[in-house]
Amino acid sequence: MNRLKKAAIITRLARKMRDKDSWCGETHLQKGLYLAQELLDVPTAFEFILYKHGPFSFGFREELGKLRADGLLDLEPQPRPFGPRFLTTKRSKEIEARFPRTIDNVDEKLNFIAGKLGGKGVSDLEKLATALFVTKNYPDCSSITMRAEKLHELKPHVSISDAQTALEQISEFQTLAQDLMN
Amino acid sequence: MAKLEHEIRDPIHVFIKLSSDERKVLNSRPFQRLRHIHQLAMTFLVYPGATHRRFEHSLGVMELASRIFDIVTNPNNVTDEIRRFVPEIAEESKRSYWRRVIRMAGLCHDLGHLPFSHAAEKELLPQGTTHETLTAKIIRSDEMCRIWNEMTPPLRPDDIVKLAVGPKEAAEIDPELQFTTWEDLLSDIIVGNAFGADRIDYLLRDAHHAGVAYGKFDHYRLIDTLRILPAPPADEGNGSANPEPSIGVEEGGVHAAEALLLARHFMFTQLYLHPVRRAYDIHLKDFLKEWLENGKFSTDVEEHLQVTDNEVMAGILKAARNEHANGHDAAKRIVERTHFRCLYEWNPDDIAVNPEAGNQIFEAAATEFGEPGVRRDEYSKTSPTDFPVKAKDERIISFTSVSDILRNALLQRVDLVFIDPCYIQRAREWLSDNRASIITPPTEDDDE
Repeated sequence: MNRLKKAAIITRLARKMRDKDSWCGETHLQKGLYLAQELLDVPTAFEFILYKHGPFSFGFREELGKLRADGLLDLEPQPRPFGPRFLTTKRSKEIEARFPRTIDNVDEKLNFIAGKLGGKGVSDLEKLATALFVTKNYPDCSSITMRAEKLHELKPHVSISDAQTALEQISEFQTLAQDLMN
Repeated sequence: MAKLEHEIRDPIHVFIKLSSDERKVLNSRPFQRLRHIHQLAMTFLVYPGATHRRFEHSLGVMELASRIFDIVTNPNNVTDEIRRFVPEIAEESKRSYWRRVIRMAGLCHDLGHLPFSHAAEKELLPQGTTHETLTAKIIRSDEMCRIWNEMTPPLRPDDIVKLAVGPKEAAEIDPELQFTTWEDLLSDIIVGNAFGADRIDYLLRDAHHAGVAYGKFDHYRLIDTLRILPAPPADEGNGSANPEPSIGVEEGGVHAAEALLLARHFMFTQLYLHPVRRAYDIHLKDFLKEWLENGKFSTDVEEHLQVTDNEVMAGILKAARNEHANGHDAAKRIVERTHFRCLYEWNPDDIAVNPEAGNQIFEAAATEFGEPGVRRDEYSKTSPTDFPVKAKDERIISFTSVSDILRNALLQRVDLVFIDPCYIQRAREWLSDNRASIITPPTEDDDE
C-alpha cells in the first residue's frame, strides 16, 4: 500500500475517533490503529512491540510526525496538565477523497474501532491493547485465566481482575470483528 | 599502588573519569576501532572541522549517562509512587550494579557502527540487520564477555545490550530481550528520544567541531532537573491512571529542555540535513555497493572489526584514479567534488498540493534524465510529542501544556531530489515548466 493511501486511513481513523469523543492523543491513536490492524486486518502494516502503556509502534510514531509535517494532522496543545490531541486538517480530507475504494474497504472497520474505543481513556486502552497482544502472542496461554496472569506479569500495575475483564472484552471484540469481516 | 581511576581530557566535558574495568573496554579492539569511525560520515567535506570520531562521543555518552543516572536515582529526587513502580531504585546493591551497566552501555552503544557511521546503513547490511545488531553481537562476543566476567560482580552482557540499544532495536535483534520498567527507564537515559545521553552528547560535540553555534544548550541545568516522573494525564478521563514512569523534567528545567529541542532542530536543518552532505552520503553508498564484496558489509564480528573509515577512504582514493575500478564513478565524484546537485527540496507549497511531491518529481526526473543520474533522499525525524514536567505545585503536567512554542519546531523533514551536475541546468528548466503537472496527486485509478 502506498504512503498516501496509508495516510488516508490514519487520518480517517483519527477523525472518526474524535467524532466518537476520543481525546485522540498519541496513545489513543496507537492503540486504535493496533486494534484496527490486528483485529480487523486494516492493511497499515506497522510493527508493534510491547512497550510502556502496551503495544506501541515506533514506525507509526514516525509516520504521525510525517503527517504533521505534511499538514495532514495537527497537534493541539491542551491547558495544563493534559497531553496534546491530534486534529485532522482540511488537507487530510482531500487526500481521503482521492482514495474512495481504499476508504470504502476500511470505513466500517474504523467505525467499529472508533465506536468501541472512542470514549475510553489511556488506562483502559492500555489494558485492552495489551490484552489483545497477549491473546495473539502467547498462544500457550489457552484460557482467559492464564492470559490474565500473563498480562499481569507483563504489566504488574494491571491487576489480575482488570486483566481478566480486558481479556473478556477483547474476546467479545474478536467475535464481533469476525462477523464484520465475514 | 595501581591507579583505580583514570582521566581523559575532553573538549566537551573537560575531564572524563573512568574505572580500571572501563579502561579495559577502552583498550579493547572493538572500542579502539571507533578512533577510526567519523562521527558525521563525510560532513567534513562541507564543514571541515567535523572530523571527530565515535571514540570520544562514546566516552561522552558514558560520562553523561552516569551523571543523569546519579541525578534521577538520588533518593531526594524519587517519590514513593516511583519507588512502587521501580523498587530497584531503592536497593543500593541494584543501583550500584546498574550504574556500572549503564556506563558500560554508554561506552559500547556505538561499537557496531559501519565505516562512516550512518551513511546508507540500510542498504549495506543484510535485511533485518542494523548497526545495533552488530553492537549487540560485539557486546556478547567472547572478547567482551571476558571483560564482563572479570568484573566484581560480573555484568550480564544482555543487560548491557538492552541499555545500549533500547527496546525498539532490541525487539528486532532478539525478541527474548524483554524490558522491565526499570530497564526501559535506564535505556531511555542513553537512547531516549527526549533527553538521552547519546543525543545530548552528539548535539554538543557536533556543534563544537562543526563550528555551528546553534547546537549548544545548558546541559548542566537540564541534567540537574531531570527526574523519573509518572506520565502526565493524557486525557481528561483518566486523571493520573497512566502511571508508568518516564524521564521528565522539573518545571525549572523547561527552558533548558526547550533549548535542547531547539538546538536539535537547528542542528538538523543546518548540519545533519545539509543537501551537499546528503549528496556525499549517496555517493559514498554508491561507491560501497560496488566496492564491497556482494555489495554488503559483513555481519561477522571479526570482519566488522577489520574495516574502518581508513580502509574505505583508501579504497575511494584508489578507485578514483582507476577508471576500471569498482565504484570509480562515485569515488571520483567524492574526490573531485563533482557531487550531484540539488534539483528539488521539500517545501510547504508543494506539500500543500501533494505530500508525495518529492517522490513524484524523483520518478519523473528519472524517466526524463535516466535513472543513474537522479537520486532521492527522503528522511524525517520527530521529537517526542510529549514528556512529563513536574510543576512547582508538584503536579505532573504535559510538556506541551507549558511550552507550545515548540509545537512545530520539533519536526525535521527532508525530501531531496539530486541530479548529475551535467543535467542541472536543463533539469531546472524542465522542472519549472512541468512542476504543476508532475506533482498533481494520484487518484486510486492511477495506482492500478
